[in-house]
Amino acid sequence: MKIKLRVWLKIPDAEAATVKNTLRRRMGYESVLEDLGRERLWSIDVDDGVDDPMDLARRLARDLVNENKESYRASVGSVEFEGGYVPVRVGLHIEDGEAVSALKRLRDRLGFEMVRGVERSVVWKLALSSPDPQRTAEEIAEGLLINPHKDFYEIMT
Amino acid sequence: MKIAVVQFPGTNCEHETLVAARSAGLSGEIFRWNRPAEELSSFDGYIIPGGFSYQDRLRAGAIASKEPVMDALREEAEEGKPIIGICNGFQILVEAGLLPGLGGVDAALASNVMVSKGEIVRRGFYCAWTTLRHEAPPRRCSGSFLLEVGELVRMPLAHAEGNLVTVDPDLMARLNEDHQVVFRYCNEAGEVDPEYPVNINGSLENVAGICNPEGNVLGMMPHPERSSFAWQLQPTDPGKSVGDMEAPGPGRRIFESMKRYIEVRR
Amino acid sequence: MKIIGLEDQEVEASLRSAGLGLSVSEARSVAEALGRDPTIPELFNYDTMWSEHCSYKSSRATLKEFLCTSGPNVVQGPEEDAGIVAIDDEWCVVIAHESHNHPSQILPNEGAATGIGGIVRDVNCMGAKVVATADPLRFGDPYGGDRNHVRWVAEGVVDGIWQYGNALGVPIIAGDVVFDGSFDTNCLVNVVAIGVVRRGEIIKSRAPAGAGEGGYDVIVVGKPTDSSGFGGVTFASEQLREEDEEANRGAIQIPDPFLKNVLFKANEALFKLTREEGITIGFKDLGGGGFTCASSEMGASAGYGMDLDLDLLHKVSDGLPPEVVACAETQERFMLICPPEVTERALKIYNEDWDLPNVYEGARASVVGKVTTNGRYITRYRGEVTCDVPIRHLTGGIRYQREERPRMTSFEEPAIATPEDLTDALLKVLGSPNVSSREHIYRYYDTEVQGNAVIRPGEADAGLIAPVRGKKFGIALSVDANPFYGRISPYWAGATAVAEAMRNVAAIGATPATLTDCLNFGNPEKPEAFWEFRECVRGLADAAKALWLKGYEDTPVPIVSGNVSFYNESPEGTVDPSPIIACVGLIDDVRDAVTMDLKRAGDPIYLIGPRFDELGGSEYYRTVWRATGRNVPVVRFDLERSMIYAAIDSIAEKNVVAAHDISNGGLAATAAEMALVGRGDLGIDLDLDAAGSDLPADRLIFSESSGFLLECKAGSEEDLERILKGYGLEIMRLGEVTGSRELRMTHHGKTVLRVDLETAKKAWTGGLGEAMR
Repeated sequence: MKIKLRVWLKIPDAEAATVKNTLRRRMGYESVLEDLGRERLWSIDVDDGVDDPMDLARRLARDLVNENKESYRASVGSVEFEGGYVPVRVGLHIEDGEAVSALKRLRDRLGFEMVRGVERSVVWKLALSSPDPQRTAEEIAEGLLINPHKDFYEIMT
Repeated sequence: MKIAVVQFPGTNCEHETLVAARSAGLSGEIFRWNRPAEELSSFDGYIIPGGFSYQDRLRAGAIASKEPVMDALREEAEEGKPIIGICNGFQILVEAGLLPGLGGVDAALASNVMVSKGEIVRRGFYCAWTTLRHEAPPRRCSGSFLLEVGELVRMPLAHAEGNLVTVDPDLMARLNEDHQVVFRYCNEAGEVDPEYPVNINGSLENVAGICNPEGNVLGMMPHPERSSFAWQLQPTDPGKSVGDMEAPGPGRRIFESMKRYIEVRR
Repeated sequence: MKIIGLEDQEVEASLRSAGLGLSVSEARSVAEALGRDPTIPELFNYDTMWSEHCSYKSSRATLKEFLCTSGPNVVQGPEEDAGIVAIDDEWCVVIAHESHNHPSQILPNEGAATGIGGIVRDVNCMGAKVVATADPLRFGDPYGGDRNHVRWVAEGVVDGIWQYGNALGVPIIAGDVVFDGSFDTNCLVNVVAIGVVRRGEIIKSRAPAGAGEGGYDVIVVGKPTDSSGFGGVTFASEQLREEDEEANRGAIQIPDPFLKNVLFKANEALFKLTREEGITIGFKDLGGGGFTCASSEMGASAGYGMDLDLDLLHKVSDGLPPEVVACAETQERFMLICPPEVTERALKIYNEDWDLPNVYEGARASVVGKVTTNGRYITRYRGEVTCDVPIRHLTGGIRYQREERPRMTSFEEPAIATPEDLTDALLKVLGSPNVSSREHIYRYYDTEVQGNAVIRPGEADAGLIAPVRGKKFGIALSVDANPFYGRISPYWAGATAVAEAMRNVAAIGATPATLTDCLNFGNPEKPEAFWEFRECVRGLADAAKALWLKGYEDTPVPIVSGNVSFYNESPEGTVDPSPIIACVGLIDDVRDAVTMDLKRAGDPIYLIGPRFDELGGSEYYRTVWRATGRNVPVVRFDLERSMIYAAIDSIAEKNVVAAHDISNGGLAATAAEMALVGRGDLGIDLDLDAAGSDLPADRLIFSESSGFLLECKAGSEEDLERILKGYGLEIMRLGEVTGSRELRMTHHGKTVLRVDLETAKKAWTGGLGEAMR
């Protein structure tokens, strides 16, 4: 069973602002990129026998989410996005040291023995006014959001 | 011989880099990223120094690689002028496709992973002194023009993303064959051990620096400007107390090489 | 807000419901001074300016009573954002030292990063180039009941420090870390920053002479103001309660090293312009107390008033209430006061050359008002006057005479039997999180950026940089305080912290030039906590006075900067008294400095400093015997001064090639570290009988009485002994450096300790990483 945590900043997201600025001012997307947002997405693989996955999600979030500056939404299984933008998920296809550390910390230090795996990615939310937003999102992902030698991307629908 | 030390917002090694270049007999100035890019053509060579351009947002070097000043630098590289990227400068050159320079973005500098006996023992930012073995023949590359094959040079490194990775299974063979691998991390005896602490960031085949096929563009993670004077060396280094405050350290060879390269090119 | 004519409970109720920390009597005194009921924004301004953090209302009298802040080398005492002492006729070193304890406990990463961000602004705004920082840290017990939280805090703080400091491009060259249960719910994060400036190019944090008459402009530079950190200084002055953690989070500021990096470069361009044109400006960082604190202090300290329009200040939104705009602690902002003819060019530097609006959304430089001659502090917002008060009254603050009462303690010396073999005890001490190698942490720090590093963390007792190219002089920096001594005797904790910080810079051959103090204590409204504070200050002041500025007999080492942090307590307890001292040392030629690693087999090892039965609070008692003890190390002022001077002179004469001061873990740990930090191919052989002491062997090698171990260059023995005798010091030639890769000590003809360096290194290098895993 996979617990998903969508995490976003409550404070201004300087990284998203910089990426938006570069796409608009340097890469010619001024007229089509209306807005851009960013979320972190944790996907946590836990034992199927867990009784109350939403309660477990809340407890995991205490470690994985910094509620002083972030908010989150938990779900089990799939993730739903609101629409109005193209969600582009970017993650590492090489080993993710930070995810490995998070798994170790959750299991060994914090005692979450039911956790089997942790996957970390970023979802870029692109609000596009181009005729084929999906195609534009792919272009943006390949042109800026990923380096194919370490990252993968997928357009989530 | 006048060089430009290109400064992006977040660059933080421009001053000491210019000092080191001057100590090797080059003249130059710091070039702010938003100056008219065409002014770059009046320089004989370029250094992109270390730091955190755009705070490594998205990934190190990615945002700076899209600045107009990089398009201008690409043109200067095609002219054959030397460009040396140090640390963040190397990351920018890789993201801009100038290194290894095979036509696209051919590799990535990923997050450090320190691996020992198959286990990740540490990750993240790391600052330490290291020994580099010069792998290329002399005169192969602008920034190591004066160095012999197998020559060892000591300098510090300090970065969080210096781990060279690629999905191209033939890339390393190609780089090795064409002598585009300029520096590897090794121990003080010159031996290349694939594990931490010799391989300090998990980089493929201990790669610390590479050049483009033409040899005029060099990128390296360690910082030669931080070992350009003898007094900058570690206390355990016998060379530390030799000579006066101007006495050279091993890192100065990089800047002297650049100078020689410019002279020869003329 | 209505105050006049209301009962105390009514005033109390309206103050609390408005979110103000002012007491009823404070609010009444404001109303009395104004002759009317104050507005809400006025009350918030007073709340900010009269907070402990801004006004030092509990501590000021004590600091004034004991501390000596002037001296022949002092260029700027503690009145401004940072203190300044002279290096030579041309160059000066600028230093500031602060705490960022409360925010780091709540939000470790941002809290610690903001600490660095604030302290480097304090140094930069004096016109200086910031060249180094240091970080004294105190965390809870990593093996105690709160271990998960303690490690979360420790990891977050270290991450915050490197993520900010490295990106900014300022090397971290010194620091210390201590773990103890008294910090479980109150970590301490202190930060020190130093800079260099030419004497003639110092910029003051006040309106320049003539600013009021000339109608100088007031300009705010940097991040757009938001609500972050609103209530921050009041928060820093209150105890932490678990249930308030959520509410306190609003007080956290968000730092941005990238914007700071660009701002520093733009500031440099501004300073260059004003220098070249001979224009005097006022420049100050916006830190605790935000816009209100900076603007009122800049005006009041020059005898002027201020007329400011909050509508003109760049903000994230126009919806913020006036008190939030005025008192929020949004990071990465400065205030500039300049003549009107410079304004356009200053704005261009920030808004166009350095392109602030594109570097950070909403960042820029904006003119917000004028300096006046009427002595009023006036702010306007949306067409209304929101504040109109006498500026001196606002910044004058208030004073409290707090009650003091000695804390009753009953520490006893433990009854212990001296073990036959001390090897195990040494390995335990070396592996303690408080003694073990700090490498696990300092590898995260970019100690090399700027290319000025001469001696780095882990190589000696102090860091050393050569900060001005073309000049040979070096600046050494060390920090120190031992909370375990503080628990037993706050007076000696203050005195030993000063002595050790000075020994640390002396151990590399630098001469102590100035000290700073950051005083971390519990709630000063409790008489015991206030007594601890006074005792510490008295102790550190006595040491600074008695150890003398070298070259000036009977002249104290000046204390030019510092900070007081009270309320480091929670219902679970209070921190051990922690007077954290930083020492700046100077050396004429950086190539004459020495490190602690052993240099050559056959060199003799000398001990300076006799051993006393002083193991109270020692690493040996605590780690091996789980005891605290009572006999805390004291400072014998004349002896201490002689030892420090002898170390400096013998290094300058090139008789000594390695030196390490004796502190935590005693001479055993000192000897082991000298062998362990080098290449690992040189050992030490010591005959303890030469120490001329009748203490049992364990007390002898683990006593934390102050002193040094010196490696003398073979052949220079006579010269070294002449210097030691000249200072009236005993000659204790304890042994020599060997080529045997082991550490050996004999006592009364028997080997009491013998361990190979591999084993010792394993214990010593593992302790810290294990505690922070």
